[in-house]
Amino acid sequence: MTDMLRILCNTCGTSGREDAVRDTIVSLIDGFCDYKIDPLGNIIAFKKGKKTPKKRIMLDAHMDEVGFIATYINEQGLISFSSVGGINTECILSQRVIFENGTVGVIGSKPMHLLSADARKKLPETDSLYIDIGAASGEEAKKIISPGDTAVFYPKFLEQDSIIASKAIDDRAGCAILISLLREDSEYDFYATFTVQEEIGSRGAATAAFAVEPDYCLCLESTTASDIEGVSGARRVCELGQGPVISFMDRGTLYDRELFDLANGISMPHQVKSMVAGGNNSAAIHKSRGGVKTLAVSVPCRYLHSASCMSSLDDIKGAYDMAKAMLQKLGEAEND
Amino acid sequence: MDIISTLKELSNSTYIGHHNDAIKIAEQMLGDFSKKELSAGNTAFYFKGKKDKTFLLEAHIDEIGFVVTEVFDSGFLRVSTAGGFDLRALPSHRIIIHGKEKVSAVFTSIPPHLSKDEAVFDDIDKLYLDTGLGDKAKSLISVGDFAIYDTQATELLGTRITGKSLDNRAGVTTLLAVAERISANCGYNVILLFCNGEEIGTRGAITSAFALDADEAICVDVSFGDFPGVGAAESGKLGAGPMIGCSPILDRNMFARLCELAENKGISYQREIMSGRTSTDADMVSVSKSGIPTALISIPLRNMHTDCELCDTADIASAAELIYEYIVSGGVCRD
Repeated sequence: MTDMLRILCNTCGTSGREDAVRDTIVSLIDGFCDYKIDPLGNIIAFKKGKKTPKKRIMLDAHMDEVGFIATYINEQGLISFSSVGGINTECILSQRVIFENGTVGVIGSKPMHLLSADARKKLPETDSLYIDIGAASGEEAKKIISPGDTAVFYPKFLEQDSIIASKAIDDRAGCAILISLLREDSEYDFYATFTVQEEIGSRGAATAAFAVEPDYCLCLESTTASDIEGVSGARRVCELGQGPVISFMDRGTLYDRELFDLANGISMPHQVKSMVAGGNNSAAIHKSRGGVKTLAVSVPCRYLHSASCMSSLDDIKGAYDMAKAMLQKLGEAEND
Repeated sequence: MDIISTLKELSNSTYIGHHNDAIKIAEQMLGDFSKKELSAGNTAFYFKGKKDKTFLLEAHIDEIGFVVTEVFDSGFLRVSTAGGFDLRALPSHRIIIHGKEKVSAVFTSIPPHLSKDEAVFDDIDKLYLDTGLGDKAKSLISVGDFAIYDTQATELLGTRITGKSLDNRAGVTTLLAVAERISANCGYNVILLFCNGEEIGTRGAITSAFALDADEAICVDVSFGDFPGVGAAESGKLGAGPMIGCSPILDRNMFARLCELAENKGISYQREIMSGRTSTDADMVSVSKSGIPTALISIPLRNMHTDCELCDTADIASAAELIYEYIVSGGVCRD
């Protein structure tokens, strides 16, 4: 699993530019299931199990990651950009990034020595930040980068003890779990969707769910863990090492109670998210067609949407176990 | 010597507290020089010429970093800064702690839903280092351990590179490039001095310059590179040559000679005009003992004191050429 996570996290693909991620996933599932690519670029896979459940089950993970899009190149060769997906400005400053064509750059800003005492305390506006690829002039930069080209945080995968730190754990962790489920024998048939454009509003999930037309859907996700020193109680949201996270509600979805109770009743280590915050593909999927009973099973992740998301390998294994158990229960429930 | 690969190697190395493998890289390249270890992590390398006159070439070799002040059971650490940091540019950045073994960590970032008000970056105590190790952290890390940026230097377009501590490995690289050219026929004594402690108050230069005897000194450091929002008068253009410092605390004749040599030899350069202290080791070297005429040469650098410092190695090559020509010319003081 860790090797697969390393490969997936080191692959680059911001929303709308998931091509490399898609190719990697296809190479990992090819031969283990049927699949097709839909017009938006989603992978829609079908896994034939030993039995066909009465109700159709879909498992979803999104392929895209947060990143940057070049908007303008100035005469100095510095590149203005916008964020693709929500990224805290404090997680942008001084980061190294890589463009689709492999060009490396850094996100530069005015040095703090030249800022007033007040300015040093406040985050700068994004329009005062630039991606610097080392070009000596605008002319040189424009030969290599054009407005519309996208970049992501520079890959730097860390495995230390039982944790990993990397860009794009959101949601390559979900992708890795889903790939693992496709690569092994399944008791029940299920559909697996690897979707595009989650970070800019779950756009891929909407069309994928329309195509699959499921009765049940499990979104395999990563969710914000705020269990950092000095934060207590509900504000921790969820904690690393305490197992996969299920939620009753977030900013996009009021989750199906039947599925929530079913998951909560499974005797495996898990935790319930202690804050109504964040959102994921469930928001689009549960409203698809006439409605889909949906639940998210998430990996707790500190510093989500940064170059150094941090998750526990035990929790990722736990989320895999939980997804597998839920798949079994959803298949059984309707067959009895 | 290949300037790009030398600078990359030096950037990736460490010089904080007693963790100082950067000096070993320098030492390996200075076979013709004799080494003299001074106090407090400062190191000098001597080249003996036939004439009595001695040129001192100085660059600080230390880097900004952190010192661990508290280790929590949760695996988080509180740290204090050793040198100046932009606190806004720390969240989610990677750090290496030199504990019983090297441990990686990430600076915390508070998720937006937990902070109703705009974040205020006024105190390092609002940030923690997250090792992810839980209570195991206490067995590996102790109060007083040092930590630095975890970044590997990489090449960008042309001759530009990015990495940590180019301030002042760019200066160290310049000195090594000069040393490579120094030979018996240049005639003069040359001391290369690599100072510790510049980032916490130019302390290495104070004691080291006192311990040495030199007729003239050239300090090499970095200065602000051109960037939007940074005025042309307070910055140098990357790739347009080293910046020759002009300041009341620096020697005016040396400044004039360096500019004249650059013009005559066709070496690109820029002037950096300052009205007093330069915030470099030159401030201390120049007033050491009964005074040493001192010049300052700076490599333009963007994103100073971050882990994405960026400079043009062509400026280092030009600086080395200029300094070598200056020594060969005999300088400005009488032999």
